[in-house]
Amino acid sequence: MTIPADLKYTKDHEWVRIEGDIATFGITDHAQEALGDIVFVELPEIGRTIDAGEAYAVVESVKAVSDVYAPAAGEVVEVNEDLESEPEKVNSDAYGAGWIARVRMSGDTIELMSDDEYNTFLEE
Amino acid sequence: MSELAKTPLFSEHVAMGGKMVPFAGFEMPVQYKSGALKEYTFVREGGAGIFDITHMGQVRVSGAEALAFLQHVTTNDVSKLADGQVHYSALLNNAGTFIDDITTYRISDTEYYLCINAANRHKDVAHLQGEAKRFDVTVSDESDETTLLALQGAAAQKALQPLVDGDLENIGYYRFAQVVIGGADAIVSRTGYTGEDGFEIYIPNHIAVDVWKQLLANGAEPIGLAARDMLRTEMGYALYGHEISDQVTPVEAKLMWITKLDKGDFIGKSAVEARKAEGPRQRLIALKLTGRGIPREHYRVFADGVDTGEVTSGMFSPMAGGVALAYVKPEHAETAALAIEIRGNKVEAERTTLPFVRSNVRR
Repeated sequence: MTIPADLKYTKDHEWVRIEGDIATFGITDHAQEALGDIVFVELPEIGRTIDAGEAYAVVESVKAVSDVYAPAAGEVVEVNEDLESEPEKVNSDAYGAGWIARVRMSGDTIELMSDDEYNTFLEE
Repeated sequence: MSELAKTPLFSEHVAMGGKMVPFAGFEMPVQYKSGALKEYTFVREGGAGIFDITHMGQVRVSGAEALAFLQHVTTNDVSKLADGQVHYSALLNNAGTFIDDITTYRISDTEYYLCINAANRHKDVAHLQGEAKRFDVTVSDESDETTLLALQGAAAQKALQPLVDGDLENIGYYRFAQVVIGGADAIVSRTGYTGEDGFEIYIPNHIAVDVWKQLLANGAEPIGLAARDMLRTEMGYALYGHEISDQVTPVEAKLMWITKLDKGDFIGKSAVEARKAEGPRQRLIALKLTGRGIPREHYRVFADGVDTGEVTSGMFSPMAGGVALAYVKPEHAETAALAIEIRGNKVEAERTTLPFVRSNVRR
């Protein structure tokens, strides 16, 4: 299980990459492994405004439906449309090709952890 | 909540990376390391998947009046069974609704073997033993001593044959043989719940680990509950607690083919006849999503904007997409274009026929 050092993490097992005012969201390796084979991703609409902590996407595995929560507030500016035809990318490359959405941040974030803090959180 | 039971194969599942979950009172593997989709594909594409279904119950019915007793308590016509033959059947209550769906094995005219659902085991056994008082018959619950494995997929016979004395080729579809495996008496039937050729193997607990390991050595791979549910849903097979329950009769559940009203009296018969005459209160249909999404159990079904029923089993089928079994109002049972509500959106679905994917059982 990998936990890249250049990302921030939430207790709900989402990751966020912050570059300027743009934040890229996804779910962690731990999350995808716990969910199992992902067969469907419901993406947010571009232009939608989301609050920090709001459910902005849905990931469905073979057996379960899971909400995905936004680590930061903002307006959705891009979504990973590849996931519509290849949702399994969330399993195979959770931090890369499996990203879910990008938002232009408006300020608020929920409590974010560093890679070390997230690792400790997982071990607790 | 009482402690969960473990099958004799519990440690084998864990050793193979099985993700254990509570299921019908047991800790059972929902999937192994490679994941449910790969397990599913292995079974559908020519492998031999091995499923631990020891959680299911086994009941032996023996005695001079075994046939008369089973005619009384089950819906199918037991008199039509030959020695070595199995059929699908059901136990109904007096209201004509399901206590359980079962399979009945005829060993001889005075000895039968029933396979029942895990969650219903104690209810079924109490019901059967209560009814048995009026017959010269003994009902024995052998579930605790019996390990049940399903071996499913085109390679099943090849994987199992080396373990068995006798030629499996001679066992036809829905037939069984009493054989010796690992020095122990066993029952092997050409039955299953996946739509593939394969066997269900009843063995005593003490040889379970050895048989499991031999099957793996012969190329079989373990399959968890998630892939099992995908395989059975693609076939449209009913599952107790979903398509069948004590809320529906065989008329609603499309199971009149196992309900033989002309065989003489049986528990629930008059209620089923009455329901048949008045017409079903709801109808079980098969749906395929044409829009995007995955139908899930309890999602609402709409016809012409009217809420008409709910999904009883729904999932993503790798071969057929979003598929569902659902109960709808009788007036919408023939409606071609329906919708399933997924998170507030009505996603288009079309009525289709079963199975969702082609069956490969041996006819």
